[in-house]
Amino acid sequence: MREISVRVNGRLRKRLIKDNELLLDFLRERLEVRSVKAACWRGECGLCTVMLDGALVKSCLVLAVEADGGEVKTVEGISPGGELAPIQKAFVEHGAAQCGFCTPAWVLATHELLRNNPHPSLADLTEAVSGLVCRCGTYNQIREAVAEVAGAKPRGRLEEGLART
Amino acid sequence: MSFGSPYVTLPDFTYHKPKTVDEALQLLREHGDEAKVMGGGIGLIAFMKERLMSPSHLIDMKGVEELRNVSQVPGGGLRIGAAVTLSELLEEGKLGKEYAVLREAVSKVADPMIRRRATLVGNLCEAIPWVDSPPALIALDASVEAVGTEGKRSIPVSSFIRGPVDIDLAPTEIVTAVEIPGSRGREGAFEKFTAGSEFSLASVAVVTVNGGRKRIAKVVYGAVNSTPARCTEVEEAIKDGITPGSVRKAALVAFEKVECMDDVLASATYRKHLVKVITMKALGRMMGR
Repeated sequence: MREISVRVNGRLRKRLIKDNELLLDFLRERLEVRSVKAACWRGECGLCTVMLDGALVKSCLVLAVEADGGEVKTVEGISPGGELAPIQKAFVEHGAAQCGFCTPAWVLATHELLRNNPHPSLADLTEAVSGLVCRCGTYNQIREAVAEVAGAKPRGRLEEGLART
Repeated sequence: MSFGSPYVTLPDFTYHKPKTVDEALQLLREHGDEAKVMGGGIGLIAFMKERLMSPSHLIDMKGVEELRNVSQVPGGGLRIGAAVTLSELLEEGKLGKEYAVLREAVSKVADPMIRRRATLVGNLCEAIPWVDSPPALIALDASVEAVGTEGKRSIPVSSFIRGPVDIDLAPTEIVTAVEIPGSRGREGAFEKFTAGSEFSLASVAVVTVNGGRKRIAKVVYGAVNSTPARCTEVEEAIKDGITPGSVRKAALVAFEKVECMDDVLASATYRKHLVKVITMKALGRMMGR
């Protein structure tokens, strides 16, 4: 066992961990951050996506020890005061969730895309979320939610991009 | 807690994060066969979950600063350090026109989150048949730099990958870089067929070098057999230029000559069809250039 300290959503957390522990388990089991979902465990579904030191990663493929001294942000971190972020409001408005299991990962990934690229094309969006899966198939609603935050409605770049495909 | 069950947990090991190559080599000498070197960890962590590998020591190379650079080799060429991630390689200006085939291959690996962790050298050392970067590196005549107790050596990528999950590397050696020779007039294209971000079922890396009136072509197929392989017959078909006629001919030759395997992902017959299609797509994009 060794002690690691990780800043999670702005708060410094210290825990004893085993070297073979995944960041996913560290967040879910040791810190009880349950918005980070465990599903495929092999980097395919993307539901365990978190921000690690400023970049989106799949936490089932990262060791907890690698996050020592680093910073993790989960979906809770995008609405620190409890006020929903614009993309969260848009998800609600467009019904961009059905069972909701994958929603934290999608919200985090699309929020991050819009933060780096406020007016993404459809190709940018497709590329950014290509590592995420929604088994209920709410992809169209998610696209509409992103389009709204990007100010792409009714005839913004995103919808034009869509029209071309 | 899920600790203990396979597929979702890792076997026990001690984690090491050396700061220099020498330190990493020292750890390898101490622990020998019991140790594994980790780059991004994408492949290794997956293998360990399935208990295909159970090293008792893990040596993480992400902290080795000297391996984090992409540098120009004096006199032409590129040296890519072992800890350079795929997304770092895709940063503006890292892979210019003469390395287009590699840029295209890397940009299509898995998804952006995986590319932020995965390294090019990790990709190579994993040596699973459906990885995208090896065919591109072979088409570019790249070589691997390995350092061990006996010193440094350079191995062409084409012979470094001996078979599936089998590489020409001693247990006490570490791959420190990939080197790609430079070539001014070089162009290239990469195509693959895959369902979403799944593994490739077939891929092709095409490189051409214009030297006056002569055109030298290298065409390497990946994911269709246990190791990436050149197809000299396809190269021959486009040696006088990439035209609608030669592209059609090359695609038919590829269908005839490229050896394809049956496995759980696809049949050999289906792969042969894919080979024809991706050959046409890759060469089609290079037409008239």
